[in-house]
Amino acid sequence: MESGAGERSSQYSEMDDYESLISTTDAELLKRAWQNEKAAPQILRFEAALVQRSREQIQLMEETVEEYTRNGSDPLTVSLYQMDLDRTLFLLRSYLRTRLQKIEKYMFHIQKTTELWNRLSRPEQKFMGRCIEDMEQHLDQSVLSKLPSSYKSHLKQSSSSEEDDMVPEPQLDTYVICRSNRFLGAFQLDDSGEETVNIEADDLYALPYKSIKPLVETGQIDLV
Amino acid sequence: MYGKKGSELVKELASSEPGQLSAFNNDLFSQVIEECTGHLLHLGPLIRKIEELKKVEERRKINKQELEESDKMALKANNSGALIHHLSLLRNKRCLMAYVYNRAEIIQSLGWTLERVLPEEIEEKLSSSEKEYFKNHGATLQSYMSELDIDLAVDMVPPKDPYIKVRVLDDIGNVVLSDQSANLARHAILFLRRTDAEQYISQGLMEELTS
Amino acid sequence: MAGQSDAQASTFSAAELEFLAEDELIEIVPNLRMDPLNLICGDFGPFRPQIATQVPIWLAVALKKRGKCAIRPPDWMSVEKLTQVLEAERDAEKFQPLPFHYVEISRLLFDHARDDIPDIYMVRSLIEDIKDVRFHKIGTGLEIISKERTYALRLKNLSAMEANIVRPFVTRALETFYKLSSPDMIQDSDSVQNRQHQTVNRGPRRQLKDR
Repeated sequence: MESGAGERSSQYSEMDDYESLISTTDAELLKRAWQNEKAAPQILRFEAALVQRSREQIQLMEETVEEYTRNGSDPLTVSLYQMDLDRTLFLLRSYLRTRLQKIEKYMFHIQKTTELWNRLSRPEQKFMGRCIEDMEQHLDQSVLSKLPSSYKSHLKQSSSSEEDDMVPEPQLDTYVICRSNRFLGAFQLDDSGEETVNIEADDLYALPYKSIKPLVETGQIDLV
Repeated sequence: MYGKKGSELVKELASSEPGQLSAFNNDLFSQVIEECTGHLLHLGPLIRKIEELKKVEERRKINKQELEESDKMALKANNSGALIHHLSLLRNKRCLMAYVYNRAEIIQSLGWTLERVLPEEIEEKLSSSEKEYFKNHGATLQSYMSELDIDLAVDMVPPKDPYIKVRVLDDIGNVVLSDQSANLARHAILFLRRTDAEQYISQGLMEELTS
Repeated sequence: MAGQSDAQASTFSAAELEFLAEDELIEIVPNLRMDPLNLICGDFGPFRPQIATQVPIWLAVALKKRGKCAIRPPDWMSVEKLTQVLEAERDAEKFQPLPFHYVEISRLLFDHARDDIPDIYMVRSLIEDIKDVRFHKIGTGLEIISKERTYALRLKNLSAMEANIVRPFVTRALETFYKLSSPDMIQDSDSVQNRQHQTVNRGPRRQLKDR
């Protein structure tokens, strides 16, 4: 699965980050990606490489379990490998599912927002294209075809609307609970620069998603 | 009152249990559509009159003349009338869309939990377009899953130990299970895959032991 | 729908929190000999009788269920430590430090490793009391670290389950403050934040409060 997304912007290159990065298993990274995706109001960048690696590990583990079962290895060991496999599969499925559900919910918004559209994997983009066709057809058959000509848009209330005023959007000023695994120091809450909060390592904070959006997108803070 | 039926439609939506569908209210729905058509019938002539009066106004402007008082009044009245019909139409459209869209969201969520066939008690609540939408959207989901070769309709909740501890209640003898062959003698206590044990448990030949 | 808060939809279910807690490491004393396990979630073992080793809780529980190990309850789960925490919890406004998943971990161990926890009844009731005291001070124990333009809260030492419980309240309350105080974010009242297919409000924005 390839992603249309750009490179993860690398704002942090400090040594301790590097070390924590290499000592972190993909299972751990997948779990974080899953938690972030579940808690963020907006769709996040598709973790293409991570998903790819996780799928390879899952496949490898499936083969191992099969082989162990075939040659009559200790059933206890086999069942432990199986449980590990089940847990990873759940995370992967739930991660992908959470994303599709966001796409279902905000398809028209993502469609017109290039930045968000680019965060989807190719199969997700295809999925969304079809979702939109299905929904447009349904709205048209049920409502829009029966309305006067200047009221037939599903994006605008009428042709006199200057912008799309009927598109459900995620609410970015919603509050999220987040935690950073390292000290981030004084962090600016809004563009005005008038107000900063200190973000300490491992503490929980309730903040508007909007203000920490860049930190979530660069992996410096995790949603819980 | 304009827009009343539309708001009833939305109220009906708001009062139903979250995630639950009530029967598609065809009667009310088509009454709101009719109201929209009615607005259009009023709007047409009003807009034509406004346009005529505007032309008169233009012509008089060239001659540096003001519009006659009666025409001014007529323009104002027609403008207000058109605005009322326009706004009522918008309101009705939003109500209709809210009704259909929110139901469509529930139908989407059904696609995740149900196999691709709807149970009768749900199907009879859907409009024909909704039935078609369920089918189409389900196929869309299927095509994503088959492209990735992964089934997303399983594992909706976190997995638990797939093995359970059981006590054998009767002599069952040697059997081949999905992962092992075992001698299921009476009183034996062993770990079996939940899926293997279930048939014996339902026949009363085994019981699950919880710690 | 614009305006619909996603806070509730994004909460983790109890089963999902337990799933997350099951990845925390715990010490076990195996009574079997088993080669190292090279799992997707990490490498564990080798397992030797009477030699303590660290494993994720799900693995510990699986071995325990099959009678293959004893689980060593974590330090904080002793009567002595918990008594101290409870007293401090009662005296101080702030929350005492406890593992992020203390609720789930203790429940998992109560369910699966009863015989490994000394004074289990006492431990269980202490944890219940701590949970209770903490829950009742959620109003006072959270620290407002900013309220000038944007409300921000520090939830120091709050556990996963507690965060999950306060999430809907805290986030809704803060969103309301935020809207009332932020000059460019004034939106229509919350009463219309239901499941309707709403349009984004782009109407005139009023300033409720002078800054």
